[in-house]
Amino acid sequence: MKIKDIITPFSAWSNIVVKPVTIKDPLNERPGAERYRGFHKNDIEACIGCGTCEVICENAAIDLVPVEGKDASSGDSGLRPMVDYGRCCWCALCVDVCTTKSLTMSNEYTWVSTEGDDFRYTPGVDDKAWNNNELGWKKPDYELLPLSREVMDEEHASERVGSFIEIVKGYSLKQAEKEADRCVSCGICIATCPAHMDIPGYIRAIREKDYEQGLRILYETNPLPEICGRVCTHRCEEVCSIGYQGDAVAIRWLKRFIADQVPFDQYKRILGLDSLKESGKNVAIIGAGPAGISAAYYLRTLGYGVHIFEAKEKPGGMTMYGIPKYRLPIEQLDAEIGLLEEMGVTISYNTKVGKDVMFNDLRQKFDALFVGIGFEVPYQMAITGEEFKGSIQAIDFLRRVNQGERPDLGHRVVVIGGGNVAMDAARVSRRLGTEVVVLYRRRIEDMPADPEEIEGAEHEGVKFFTQTIPVQINADERGNVKSITYLKAEMVDDPKGGRPRPVAIEGSQTILEVSTIIGAIGQEADYGFLDSESAKMLTVERGRMKVDKSNQTDIPGVFAGGDAVNKTADAISAIADGYRAAKGIDKMLGSND
Amino acid sequence: MKPFENIEEIIKFAIDSEQEAYDFYTSLAHKTSSIQMKDIFLGYALEEAGHKKKLESIQQSRQFVAQSEKIQNLKIADYIVEIEPGPDMTYQEALIVAMKKEKAAFKLYSDLADLSTDNLLKSLFHTLAQEEAKHKLRFELEYDDIILKDN
Repeated sequence: MKIKDIITPFSAWSNIVVKPVTIKDPLNERPGAERYRGFHKNDIEACIGCGTCEVICENAAIDLVPVEGKDASSGDSGLRPMVDYGRCCWCALCVDVCTTKSLTMSNEYTWVSTEGDDFRYTPGVDDKAWNNNELGWKKPDYELLPLSREVMDEEHASERVGSFIEIVKGYSLKQAEKEADRCVSCGICIATCPAHMDIPGYIRAIREKDYEQGLRILYETNPLPEICGRVCTHRCEEVCSIGYQGDAVAIRWLKRFIADQVPFDQYKRILGLDSLKESGKNVAIIGAGPAGISAAYYLRTLGYGVHIFEAKEKPGGMTMYGIPKYRLPIEQLDAEIGLLEEMGVTISYNTKVGKDVMFNDLRQKFDALFVGIGFEVPYQMAITGEEFKGSIQAIDFLRRVNQGERPDLGHRVVVIGGGNVAMDAARVSRRLGTEVVVLYRRRIEDMPADPEEIEGAEHEGVKFFTQTIPVQINADERGNVKSITYLKAEMVDDPKGGRPRPVAIEGSQTILEVSTIIGAIGQEADYGFLDSESAKMLTVERGRMKVDKSNQTDIPGVFAGGDAVNKTADAISAIADGYRAAKGIDKMLGSND
Repeated sequence: MKPFENIEEIIKFAIDSEQEAYDFYTSLAHKTSSIQMKDIFLGYALEEAGHKKKLESIQQSRQFVAQSEKIQNLKIADYIVEIEPGPDMTYQEALIVAMKKEKAAFKLYSDLADLSTDNLLKSLFHTLAQEEAKHKLRFELEYDDIILKDN
């Protein structure tokens, strides 16, 4: 043994008087830096549970979990991220990629616990000492996600106002792939889509260049993708995660892209429609609009014989007779109807139920019925002078133009209303070479029309007079419309607590010279097709047929869908109704085997 | 119409008016061929029956609570055309008929309130007018929400 070995234990005692290098109170003496990447925080009200943080984490340290008090709703999965600090490496990619900027990191770096499970928690839900820390890592200025949408090529307003050629030109391959790359596959859009289409699925198909698979995914829930890819109300885009900080993914245009890639003569093969089973049961469908077409397609794939009765000479309902050709060229619908006929669906045109065939007879002859009659009867404007020549209804006007007529509208058209039908009437009138004014009772922000349609109308020179209430239509000595009298409106509080309502201001009469007035205030259904016995059984509330969750009405074996049932009154909701009713009919008829 | 001499006469007149309205809607319900409209007319008739019951309780208790609250007037009834009531009315037409009827009743009671020199009678007429204004507002709100949804 050496001398040093004997002295060292005693010299070690000198450390007692040496100041320690460790810090007893680290946070107060050495707080985390301003942008330190410490333990996570989450604003759970701003968070939508998209799961992009979970996907990007290289260490699988994040799981989206249900939390109490948070239910799934439109635009929110109801889940929130839980972080496991046994795996987290504090790289902050989860924060950098957060679509809503809700996820951040505090500058807290010390946490002592003897329980290993404590180090796995849900930020913003589990209460932590650092929840109110202002400092820490927040999403930086640079952007990991591509926030700008691929711009869709469109006909310029000054050129398109002179013709009915389709405004939207469609994405090129490169544009579609770039746009598809923007999708983070969170699936938040699926619940909001009335048809619950597998949107991330078909967008992935574009990225993978597998258009046949994309088409199959589209047709799982929507047999009219070419139509929806052009005129859908795209509620999905309103809740798109990317839309929180940038432009929503162009889901509608991507749907159209897939449909445009696949030659129509391949549809039957790709969709596996070459051989369909036959159940031996038959279903009658009243109305060949989107709801009826959708019900027909899914019923046929389930093996039912299908016979559609359509009162008009062509199928499509409002998509054929109401939506102008600059939004939806007619050829698209021909292809999709052609597919139905190839599948063996029978369509009788110019056949009105209640006149050419009786509703009661259909109930006797068929195993089930689906009613998709739409809202074909316009509401009256109900003002003095409505009967004068030159005062017309929008849906009649649009039908005539779609059938090839080019009516002379004179020097100025006034369109009354603020919905999509009013915008269609206004923009079609512009294309017929006339000055157009829209009179709308409420404010511009109250207009129910698609904002793109309102903007398109403005670019095409349509003038908007908001907070105006028409009260009288005036005619010349020959009974032709010559002017319209309207009052200005002030907005007052809604007694029911909703949006403000317009009230006419006494003495504010204004007379506007006009040659044609087009009413577009809304439509209702025509229930004249029902026999008296069936009419007694059917429940109609505020103009719409009451149905259960499988779209069955109060008449046994009679299902319904479309505008005469749902309140959203768009093609995708009608398509969803048709799908649900087909499943409901299948369940009913299958249970009778 | 001979002038009202006392409150009892006024209340009786109001009750008879509600009964007349009840009979009017019930008759339409029996005549209409539309199952939707039948239920709607019966619903309106029930509402009129409710108004009548309220007036009968005033008649029995010989008391009423003066209505000071100003009922909102959307003025929709002022500018739409008169509709000839009939069994084949559409929902839109039924709403117009109903709101015009309530407006006429409101105007009647308002005019009677203006003509009255007795403060108590004036107050009663005013209260009845405001009740009719409430009924009119109900139909105007429905019209604004359903028929004018796109306008």
